[in-house]
Amino acid sequence: MMSAETIVQILVSGLLMGLLYALIAAGLSLIFGLMDIVNFAHGEFMMMAMYATFGLVVLFSLDPLLVSPLVVALMFGVGAFCYRFIISHAMRAKTNAGMVQVFATFGLAIVIRGLAQFIFTPDYRSIPKSWLAGKTFDIGGIFMPAPQLAGALVSILAFVGLWLLMKKTDFGKALEATREDAGAVGLVGIDRNRIFALGWGLGAALVGLAGSVLAIFYYIHPDVGGTFALIAYVTVALGGFGSVFGALAAGVLVGLVEAVSATALPPSMKAVGIYAVYLLVVFLRPRGLFGHLS
Amino acid sequence: MPKTDRLNRRQATALLGGAVAGLPLGAARAQAKDIVVGGLYPLSGANAQIGVDAKYAYETALDIINNKHEIDLPLARTEGLPNLGGAKLQMVFADHQSDPQKGRAEAERLITQDKVVALIGTYQSAVAVTASVAAERYGIPFLGADTSSPSLHRRGLKYFFRAAPHDEFFTQAMFDFFDGLEKRGVKIESVALFYEDTIFGTDSANVQKKLAGAKGIKILADIKYRSNSPSLTSEVQQLKSANAQVLMPSSYTTDAILLMKTMAELGYKPPAIVAQDAGFSEQALFNAIGEQGEGVITRSTFSLDLAAKKPSVGQVNELFKARSGKDLNDLTARQLTALLIMGDAINRSKTAEPAAIRDALAATDMPGAQTIMPWRRVKFDETGQNNDCTPVLLQRKGPKYVTVFPAEYAVAQVSWPGLK
Repeated sequence: MMSAETIVQILVSGLLMGLLYALIAAGLSLIFGLMDIVNFAHGEFMMMAMYATFGLVVLFSLDPLLVSPLVVALMFGVGAFCYRFIISHAMRAKTNAGMVQVFATFGLAIVIRGLAQFIFTPDYRSIPKSWLAGKTFDIGGIFMPAPQLAGALVSILAFVGLWLLMKKTDFGKALEATREDAGAVGLVGIDRNRIFALGWGLGAALVGLAGSVLAIFYYIHPDVGGTFALIAYVTVALGGFGSVFGALAAGVLVGLVEAVSATALPPSMKAVGIYAVYLLVVFLRPRGLFGHLS
Repeated sequence: MPKTDRLNRRQATALLGGAVAGLPLGAARAQAKDIVVGGLYPLSGANAQIGVDAKYAYETALDIINNKHEIDLPLARTEGLPNLGGAKLQMVFADHQSDPQKGRAEAERLITQDKVVALIGTYQSAVAVTASVAAERYGIPFLGADTSSPSLHRRGLKYFFRAAPHDEFFTQAMFDFFDGLEKRGVKIESVALFYEDTIFGTDSANVQKKLAGAKGIKILADIKYRSNSPSLTSEVQQLKSANAQVLMPSSYTTDAILLMKTMAELGYKPPAIVAQDAGFSEQALFNAIGEQGEGVITRSTFSLDLAAKKPSVGQVNELFKARSGKDLNDLTARQLTALLIMGDAINRSKTAEPAAIRDALAATDMPGAQTIMPWRRVKFDETGQNNDCTPVLLQRKGPKYVTVFPAEYAVAQVSWPGLK
């Protein structure tokens, strides 16, 4: 029989993991909201950030938390670069633009993964030592691992920062305007291409932040992105395509549903719980929990 | 034609080219007179490192077969295959990506296009299931080098062979080991099973349940989990609640790392861990978990400390290490041994025709002394299984595994809670 302690532990673990899922999904949702493109290389961006974190930690013997801002900046550059040199070209397709964009990001994912395997070999890496690794807070028998706790806090801070950016800055307003009507913003002097590039940079930076935190406690491998990307896609769909804060709510929901269904159902069926909830949302509210009506 | 269309096509080609270049398929064609054996391994995806290491093991075996070495192993002292005019043995590899359907398709491609005379593989039992059926249909011998599901040789296939133990041998060894502990005053009363949801994990757990039931050992947790999950927190929480005397995991590397890390995070330390190999034979796991690995026991078919009793183990390990930078482990030792057995059969077939190789494999009778394994001999029964292969149990002591069971191969005493 399950004790109350076990139930609380499962909910706490689900919540911590869910906040991380939300952070992973935020960038995906942001890019989709801005320009209706699903970035199939999102998981690979995260994987790149994990390798970057690993590399910088090994190279400079610094703690992953210290190199994290550098990784975020690096990923911002990667995102903007990918927009300039791949996505902006894919968007110029006159016919089947949607499919061209799908294949462009899908191709990007395969190239990044292949290169990672070629450069880093498919061996499994882990960051051996860090301030947080191996530390766990035990509060009345409920265990909260320090890395996951830090990940959850970073995620909340990132969402607060994102909210401030969107609501309080000119860039946020330009982003919002471009998202409303990408064609019309040109008339008021906003460079659409620049906003899109910044949007991709921001999206990659967010998932880069998630990757650099994840690297503290998760194995690093060329395929690691795939494990999380599927969760990110369902999170975005569940929260409502393009709704960044919907992704926050949906990420937490996915984390909790995953934790509960792995306990209530045979654990091999836990993904079923997540997708059953998604199908239920599709049935009741097809645009997702916080999706806009367009 | 509008300019944009041309640009897009060029970019698409560049993308595709990049994608293909990124995947090391290693399908270089061998020369005509060489005899070619196909290797089916995961060379991309979550288990790609297994395939990379397997290639080093097979290259080492090819070196032993094709060049002259003073090692007490089949075909080592000659160059090439003497019965075939000194013909060289070669291997081509295909990437099954851990996917049973791709495994079947790649097996067919190796057979029909690369004209391989035999197949070796596949790491995952789930892939061996489909690939060996394809081999059977084309009449090509299939040697399961490192697949351990007991159901594989019970499908009535004529072309399927396995020299290494399957999970019934391995699991039997674990429970024999428990018996030994009981004689020394430590009775095992409960276990927790933790296994991944493909044929490897489920077959392994089925045998464990059967043997535990026969000995009256209680199974306090029976957790079949989804492989490559982002999180195993709920699963580990259940293991922790069950609090069994022995945790028995059957997991590939990624899940093994996540399992052990999550256990540490949730403050769960089982009194003992007895693992079904796979991820637990990989150095990457112990790099990831550090001191937490101390005392972990795994089953194995091989142990490096056999070198004290068999000089060939040390010699072969040097050849392997020069290529891979790693010591031989359970998997790479089985792979290397498999190709030596295959080479021996091809040599005895005299013709290198698949049907003749099959008959030569069926007639194999190789003394254990001529392998690097702790086996009595290699001789296949009518189902293609070798029954004279003894598994060993290894325990992690400091930075390496040492043999602790059975007594005839043990180099150290097992450490176990409560054992004097």
